[in-house]
Amino acid sequence: MKKYCRFFGCFLDAQENWLNKMAQKGYRLIRTGKMTYDFEKCKPGEYQYAIEFVAQQSFKSEKEYRTFLEALGYKVFYKNINLNFSIGKIKWRPYGRGMGQISTSPGSYNKELFIVEKKNDGKPFNLHTMNCDKANYYKPLRNAWLTIAAISLAFAVWFYIDTNSISKEVITLIILSLLCSIPMLKYQKRISYFSVQSNTEE
Amino acid sequence: MRDSVKGGALTEVTFFILLSLYTPNHGYGIMKFIEEKTQGRLVLGAGSLYGAINTLQERSWITPLDDGKGRKKEYVITKTGKEMADIEIKRLKNLISIAEEIMGGQV
Repeated sequence: MKKYCRFFGCFLDAQENWLNKMAQKGYRLIRTGKMTYDFEKCKPGEYQYAIEFVAQQSFKSEKEYRTFLEALGYKVFYKNINLNFSIGKIKWRPYGRGMGQISTSPGSYNKELFIVEKKNDGKPFNLHTMNCDKANYYKPLRNAWLTIAAISLAFAVWFYIDTNSISKEVITLIILSLLCSIPMLKYQKRISYFSVQSNTEE
Repeated sequence: MRDSVKGGALTEVTFFILLSLYTPNHGYGIMKFIEEKTQGRLVLGAGSLYGAINTLQERSWITPLDDGKGRKKEYVITKTGKEMADIEIKRLKNLISIAEEIMGGQV
């Protein structure tokens, strides 16, 4: 067994690429921790991995989705996107859908991602294959970033009005807001691309 | 899923899922069915399939078979689903006849 300490946070593509590279080198994921990944030896390229963002879903629908994937013969790991250690906590996710707006610990908190493992059959491993479905998949991801960007911007404006000066807090919040806009725009670009695609195809 | 219920136009994936459920089938069976029937041209990802199944269930075009404890959930097409498939066939036939008329049947 080999233990790796890594934290990818919100860099979903990087995490997926890394896991696939590990699989190519002959390491199969057997356990995920907050910041650790345990691997065991396997044949190089025996498995493929995909990351799925599920934070917008309620704990119940997350479980249903997981059961569905497992019935297809995939292995599913939970993965956290944040580093908060918490028990007995309730979080509001404004970007969630229905009950998915409320995240609790224990519950769906720190289970924002699925790592899905599939035995390599020589075909690319994509969980989302239809254009409009791809567009829909990226929407909660964009909204998650949009939420943080909008809230920090709102606080910046509030602080500015409150103190009537561009203080350190205001600048920090504006920078935070701008930083969050980068992934937001990245996902927005994907959404637009696949939406346009789905107008003429499928 | 962009099926326009009014016009009766189904997406290819929707139509294939409906077809695969004329006999009860589970998720993996649906995926395999589509891959086989299209000789691998159309490959459906698990996430897309999950979304499609849920949408079709909401519209009552398909329904899960309750066998009590079966881990692999099976689905089957409903009466409404079959009606939608019939409408789709009519639409497609009409589309083909228009196309042949214009293109002179040289397809």
